[in-house]
Amino acid sequence: MIKPRRTTSLQRTQQRMAVLFILPALAVYGLFVLYPLLMSLWGSFFTWKGLRMQEFAGLANFTRLFAFPSGARLYGALWHNIAWFFGIMVLQNGLGLLFAWLLFLRGRGAALFQSVFFFPAVLSPVIVGALWRLLLAPAGIIEWALNGLGLHQGRLTVLGNSHTALGMLIAVDAWNWMGLPVLIYTAGLRQISPQVFEAAKLDGAGNARMLYAIALPLLMPALGTLTTLSFINTFNQFDIVYVMQGVQGNPSYSTDTLVTYFYRLAFGAEGAVGITDIGLALALGTMLFLILSIGTLLMLRFFDKRTVEL
Amino acid sequence: MSARSLQRRLAFQQELAIPQKLARLPGWIILLIWTAAVLLPLYILVVSCFKTTAEIYDNRLGLPQSWALDNFVRAWTRADLGHNFINSLVVTGGAVVLTIVVSAMAAYPLSRYKLGWNGIMLGLFLSGIMLPIRLASVELFTLMRTLGLLDSLTGLILVYSAIRIPFAVFIFANFMRVLPAELDEAARMDGAGEARILFQIVLPMVKPAVSIVAIFTAIAVWNDFFFPLIFIFDDRYKTVPLAISVFVGQFRTDWGLVFASLAISMAPILIMYCLLARQIREGVGAGGGMK
Repeated sequence: MIKPRRTTSLQRTQQRMAVLFILPALAVYGLFVLYPLLMSLWGSFFTWKGLRMQEFAGLANFTRLFAFPSGARLYGALWHNIAWFFGIMVLQNGLGLLFAWLLFLRGRGAALFQSVFFFPAVLSPVIVGALWRLLLAPAGIIEWALNGLGLHQGRLTVLGNSHTALGMLIAVDAWNWMGLPVLIYTAGLRQISPQVFEAAKLDGAGNARMLYAIALPLLMPALGTLTTLSFINTFNQFDIVYVMQGVQGNPSYSTDTLVTYFYRLAFGAEGAVGITDIGLALALGTMLFLILSIGTLLMLRFFDKRTVEL
Repeated sequence: MSARSLQRRLAFQQELAIPQKLARLPGWIILLIWTAAVLLPLYILVVSCFKTTAEIYDNRLGLPQSWALDNFVRAWTRADLGHNFINSLVVTGGAVVLTIVVSAMAAYPLSRYKLGWNGIMLGLFLSGIMLPIRLASVELFTLMRTLGLLDSLTGLILVYSAIRIPFAVFIFANFMRVLPAELDEAARMDGAGEARILFQIVLPMVKPAVSIVAIFTAIAVWNDFFFPLIFIFDDRYKTVPLAISVFVGQFRTDWGLVFASLAISMAPILIMYCLLARQIREGVGAGGGMK
């Protein structure tokens, strides 16, 4: 196609108007998102004194991040984030697929169930965390119920136990967001032509086989969206940990995540209270940025390749 | 979906329904278990609001002895949640309006003019949908301090709008792109200015986009906790989620009060959800554009 060289007066007005119209959004977005983000990436290569940038330090912050004593915190938090991601994939995106499939097979009443399932997702993670903290507290209602049913005896200390606390938080997060996979899978299932299922039924396929052999491959775009969203949300996990276990990821850092560690480094609750280590915080931020961008790109590509067209 | 395929689906589902009624029982049970898992905690939250702490321990599951509003009154006044509530309303309202206005303005030329640089500019905005802005919070903190925007509701409004603009531009551009070109051409012939075309002709045509952006911006801003945590130190400017995070520790033994604060803080979202559940379900199902 040949582009017209001639600029009409309409086009000139449009160029001018466009700049005027885009400027407010660009200014706000540029100033409060792009600028601080670029400065943070750049700043991770410098030494810091409080909030003041000192001199270029190359990769010194990064070596310090991985070395003792920061290394223990870092690997602990990284491991918790990875466990969280896989926990969410199974608990939330796995169970969610089952729920969506059951609702799809039934058709009637699906909207009502979807609305109920999705409701916790519009609540603040702070409210969800606070609610479950009360429910799971020693002498709380879940302890009372489990004792009453004879499933447990004495004090329920799942949140205070370093072996169970992380699992509890993952379950609470799954409870919070269960409605999301249900909605996204259902939307995906509705796009599949009913003839496909009819044909499979005629061939004698049962419901389980239809889900596994037919629906699942066609749900790859939905699964891709969910995996990517879960990945991003997991590696940004902060609120639930803060409200339920405190910013140290109690007990003894067993629920610490990369963002809670970042928060402590940046705003001063790591080691002596009030002492920050901006260099480390920014290095951790840059690392997280790389994990998130590379991870997201790889996932999008992975699911793109596996998308089946009918 | 065409009428024919809908018919076919209905037939398909009915055909399934009759012989398999019994086989479906386990599925229904699974669905009802999760319904209970969602509703029971919320039921306990609601009834506990009306109980004293002693009653919460004595009468775990039952309805309260009286529907006394005592806990709500104490949460609203003694814990000063009323103040936080107004702050949250101001911040949410401000961020929703600012996000809609500036994003619609940016999306209009980007989706409807031939500028030669539409693609690059849209890409710049869209890249922000995925950016983990929390990681920039140190530099953002320094910037806010320089601008005198710490301990300021205006500061929060600006930051939230900045974070929500990419998603809003994306939604607006998608909706505006498909409007017929004759629409603005005819208006231009009549001598309407570009601002008038946008706000009086184009924007009313993309009402669904406005409501999607408004709903998801409102939810995200009302619920956010991270930015007030790092930018707000003065009690006068604290928002609801930040106040709640303090209450949980501060009033640890006063369970009735904490339950009532939780109920108050989720009330606006609950009301909105009951009114707009269908739009929210469709918005999420279509784009997955939450958070």
